[in-house]
Amino acid sequence: MSNKVLVQELRRVVGEANVIDSDVHLQLYQYDAYLEERRPDAVVFVHSTEEVSRVLKLCHAHGVPSVPRGGGTNLSGGTIPFKGGVVLEMIRMNRLLEVDKGNLRARVQPGMFNLELGQALAPLGYQYLPDPASQKAATLGGNVAENSGGPHCFKYGVTTNHVAGMTVVLSDGEIVELGGMAPDTPGYDLTGVFVGSEGTFGVCTEVVVRIVRQAEGVKTMLAIYDSIEKGSETVSAIVAAGMVPATLEMMDQLVIHAVEKSLACGLPLDCATVLIIEVDGLKDDLEEQTEAIVRLCMEHGAREVRVAKDEAERALLWAGRRGAFGAVARITPSYLVCDGTVPRTTLPLVLKKVAEVGEKYDLKIPNVFHAGDGNLHPLILFDWRDAEQKARVMKAGMEILELCVQLGGTISGEHGVGLEKMDAMHLILSAEDIQAQLKVKRAFDPADLANPGKIFPAAQEVSHAQ
Amino acid sequence: MPSDLAVLRERLAARVGEENVTADGAPYAVDGMVPALVVRPGTQHEVSEVVAACAEARAALVPWGGGTAMAMGNPPRRLDVVVRLERLDRVVEFDPDNLCITVEAGMPLGRLQALVAERRERLPLDPPDADRVTLGGLVAANQSGPCRLLHGTARDWVLGLRVVLPDGTRIHCGGRVIKNVSGYDMNKLFIQSFGTLGIITEVTVKLLPMPVCRATVLGAFTGFAEAAAVLEEVQASFLLPEALELLDPAAADLLQPVLGLASRGTFTLVAGFSGSQSTVDRQVRDLEAMVASRAGHAKTFREAESDQAWTAITNVQGGGAPDPKRVVCQLAVPIARTASMLASARTRAAAQGLAATVTAHAGSGLVCAALLPGDDLTEAGALAGLAAVTEALREEAVGVGGSLVLLQAPPRFKARVEAWGKPGSSFATMRRIKAEFDPQDLCSPGRFLGGM
Ligand SMILES: Cc1cc2nc3c(=O)[nH]c(=O)nc-3n(C[C@H](O)[C@H](O)[C@H](O)COP(=O)(O)OP(=O)(O)OC[C@H]3O[C@@H](n4cnc5c(N)ncnc54)[C@H](O)[C@@H]3O)c2cc1C
Repeated sequence: MSNKVLVQELRRVVGEANVIDSDVHLQLYQYDAYLEERRPDAVVFVHSTEEVSRVLKLCHAHGVPSVPRGGGTNLSGGTIPFKGGVVLEMIRMNRLLEVDKGNLRARVQPGMFNLELGQALAPLGYQYLPDPASQKAATLGGNVAENSGGPHCFKYGVTTNHVAGMTVVLSDGEIVELGGMAPDTPGYDLTGVFVGSEGTFGVCTEVVVRIVRQAEGVKTMLAIYDSIEKGSETVSAIVAAGMVPATLEMMDQLVIHAVEKSLACGLPLDCATVLIIEVDGLKDDLEEQTEAIVRLCMEHGAREVRVAKDEAERALLWAGRRGAFGAVARITPSYLVCDGTVPRTTLPLVLKKVAEVGEKYDLKIPNVFHAGDGNLHPLILFDWRDAEQKARVMKAGMEILELCVQLGGTISGEHGVGLEKMDAMHLILSAEDIQAQLKVKRAFDPADLANPGKIFPAAQEVSHAQ
Repeated sequence: MPSDLAVLRERLAARVGEENVTADGAPYAVDGMVPALVVRPGTQHEVSEVVAACAEARAALVPWGGGTAMAMGNPPRRLDVVVRLERLDRVVEFDPDNLCITVEAGMPLGRLQALVAERRERLPLDPPDADRVTLGGLVAANQSGPCRLLHGTARDWVLGLRVVLPDGTRIHCGGRVIKNVSGYDMNKLFIQSFGTLGIITEVTVKLLPMPVCRATVLGAFTGFAEAAAVLEEVQASFLLPEALELLDPAAADLLQPVLGLASRGTFTLVAGFSGSQSTVDRQVRDLEAMVASRAGHAKTFREAESDQAWTAITNVQGGGAPDPKRVVCQLAVPIARTASMLASARTRAAAQGLAATVTAHAGSGLVCAALLPGDDLTEAGALAGLAAVTEALREEAVGVGGSLVLLQAPPRFKARVEAWGKPGSSFATMRRIKAEFDPQDLCSPGRFLGGM
């Protein structure tokens, strides 16, 4: 079908103003926070489950692929319309439909920003726990599709642990309910299977999330180290001592410098690394826990541990952590975020090896990451205008992933495979493992129209697989 | 039917040894259906050979772990071979420093707990019958217990699985790191797949450090309303109980020897706390005060006594040989409906002249009702009464967005009442998944939702 006809038909379904197809506008939808670009044929603003269903029926009838887009903050090319077709702009489906305190659930539309949900729940004394550092600009639909994590995952788990159900529109336009307000829905746990499917199973149009009471108290600490090894050793020591802090985040010197340059959070510029450690829960033992952690940090070579005295000091520490990627972006034309995960105890070793990779390829690689989860984010700095450098970056990135796998880890902790890591999938999955995953893909999307061309190595595309 | 079971038997024996294949299927009957062969592979590789041989012979199989969930589900459409996993009970890797353990699927949960306890760690999953439940069975049937309130279920603790697919192919899902989005989350597909997508042969779970202190507070009330009011109060408070159970008078009386309640016939709320001394003490104090303020009688157990109380409470509905007349069902409802669902189960059972024991994971939206017909009823009358109560409860649960699932019921009852209830709008997708993985329909055929 020609573009013009497609656009006309789409306009008939959703109204004139809700379809855009001019070159200038389409350009805005050809990239996301990753490095690839591909232009869609049309962008459709959707407003309801039924509308999504009608649009997808149309696309299905004409064999046109589609890609839902939330905030576009994913780091793996998830929203790039790799095979052209329609981008579904989800951002207008951004209402909080229901907060049910008694049942500890909220019903949310997928275009709502993660932070907005948090802000709506806070005055009621409740919270939704997954909190990706990008929460200001990342949507719940995107969080669901990527199974996003965040600084509080060490204690509270990732998105999948907090999604109880959803409404999904499959690529043929069929509307299905997965899970719901009650637990243990009989049948396969399709909610669990859908979370993390990167838009390749269908479009999520409503989410039922678990909410919990805000913690009674919280204490935040900043542990300062002159050696990065000592810092990462402390992480394991805290866990070995039987403690489960809410947060164990780490930033190295390059990141600290970048953060201080753009945010001035009062981080010491002359240290090797800092750990942000937070404990929360009942107020009765927070002092005790804080003292124990401070003691452990000092025993493991911390130069100093600062305990945030009030909410303002705490907010400042978090502004630094949450703003880290942005701050780094200000000191370099571009960077590649790696997202490998390793068993926590191997952190000191893997950090050393990442530094070696940097030396080998002559690249700067600052680190800011979820240390408690063993989830690294080496940021490889480069200039996208320099093709030779970019090639080195890609090699270094792959080498870091290989390192993670060798140490018993994996190639993505929270950013997904998308276009970025299709070729790294074979590092962790056998041909049989991949075939099994493709079976699930075919069950959800037999026509291969939902965000096609992602996740799986090109040679194993859905239609070729048997 | 497979073309020739004698041939299959020989093939299986050639792979796992004569002593591990038997035709004595009676002890492994599923809903009265007796398998022609029972086989006990000794390694994951042997499981894959056994499954491949069954697939080639078009023999229908059912995996068998500890056998604790075999009373669940619809009667199988066909059953030729039971594959027992008891010989797969080895530790593959225990990594206490990373709070993680990998075991073969036939390892009993109790054994795993004892093992990791040596390093002061635990897996916070506590289904009934922990000494029999195997890790594979726990995962396949998604079994849980009171502790799910704070710690969730298998889906929150499983990091990785190895599975033999219905054609004998071996795959792995996930890994041993706590965050992993490398491809689809295949663990979730096999958790609660009930043996219909293959056989789970290896399980990797994350662990928690053992808490320093444990305590259990019982609040016994003469009236249901008071118990329900305290429940609500706890839920709205800052308290973080690990478990919150509501026992009806019948259940409380059954537990009397262990709990030693002051009077019989009370509605009893039980809260489990764990953590540091100071948080446990504070929570015990707060809850005792709440109980007292509603004229309840509070009693507190600590440490080992607390553990004993929980073991008894967890097992109050099960244990022992299944009573051929008894029907046990689990109702899942939105959390705030839990207490009223428990009350409703009691009322409806009484109206039909059935004895009922009803308990609830009160903070999690799950009610378990065991129904027993009185001796004065004829068999037909008993079946009719049981069916009437179950159907009415199912309708009530479905009406609020929930479900009713049979945990245990005689085959004759299952012929009348569907084990899982009516499938919803996602059923077509589930069927496609089943068809992709098991096109010959050989793995636990018919036992799951909608006869899948
Ligand atoms: C500065 C920065 C910090 C970050 N920090 C974190 C972090 O701490 N933790 C973390 O996990 N990630 C982090 N990320 C990555 C990213 O923010 C997350 O992946 C986020 O969840 C993406 O949300 P989004 O709305 O931007 O989704 P998008 O980028 O728009 O989409 C992501 C994927 O989801 C699909 N999708 C979107 N909406 C739907 C829907 N309604 N139904 C089905 N599929 C849909 C898309 O097709 C795409 O495949 C960070 C990114 C940046 C730029």
